[in-house]
Amino acid sequence: MKMIRAIIRPEKIEDVASSLAAAGFPALTKIDVYGRGKQRGITVDSIHYEELPKTMIIIVVEDDEVEKVVSNIQVSSLTGHYGDGKIFVSPVDTAYTIRTGNEEL
Amino acid sequence: MKEIVAFIRINKTQRTRDALAEKGYYSMTVNNALGRGRQKGLQYEISGEPVKEYEKGTRLNYIPKRMVILVTNDDKVEEVVSTIIDANKTGNIGDGKVFVCPIEDAVRVRTNEKGERAIL
Repeated sequence: MKMIRAIIRPEKIEDVASSLAAAGFPALTKIDVYGRGKQRGITVDSIHYEELPKTMIIIVVEDDEVEKVVSNIQVSSLTGHYGDGKIFVSPVDTAYTIRTGNEEL
Repeated sequence: MKEIVAFIRINKTQRTRDALAEKGYYSMTVNNALGRGRQKGLQYEISGEPVKEYEKGTRLNYIPKRMVILVTNDDKVEEVVSTIIDANKTGNIGDGKVFVCPIEDAVRVRTNEKGERAIL
């Protein structure tokens, strides 16, 4: 299993969630975060914003579905400008469902 | 080392903290999160009656949850996971998930200790 953490624009969250649900991945967690990238924030006129609001979504999927989910997020959150975000994939050893206590997604 | 990421009900946070403290696990990070599972959130429903046309779309897409993160040694993972599951089990949908992820290294900022010494 893999954990996919995508940091995307907050206004794109509904696009991403509905496109993932349509592809068969309705389950996700979202957290509001603040961060910056290589551009060190943004400067508007004379005001410099060090950290910009973003939304992090967390999805855990089986190994063979990672590519599908990543390309889905990439397409649905794309605007083509700086600040579209990043997608990280990290390993997960086991997943437990608390309701049943079993090892399953 | 393993990172244990648990998504639990908000009203079970205190119970989870107490249960873990009883077993000797005091350190954790707790975060507010919004999420949904396979059911795509909640839908208002009167039992037995079909969903009416105007009720469609009146759903709660994201349910507030707590995200609990803790890092432990490999041999303690079983105990922590079963403690979290026991404290949070209600048997209803929405109890949450527990994920176990590998962690390569840890550093204690105060003393610069590395590895397992940093999390003991």
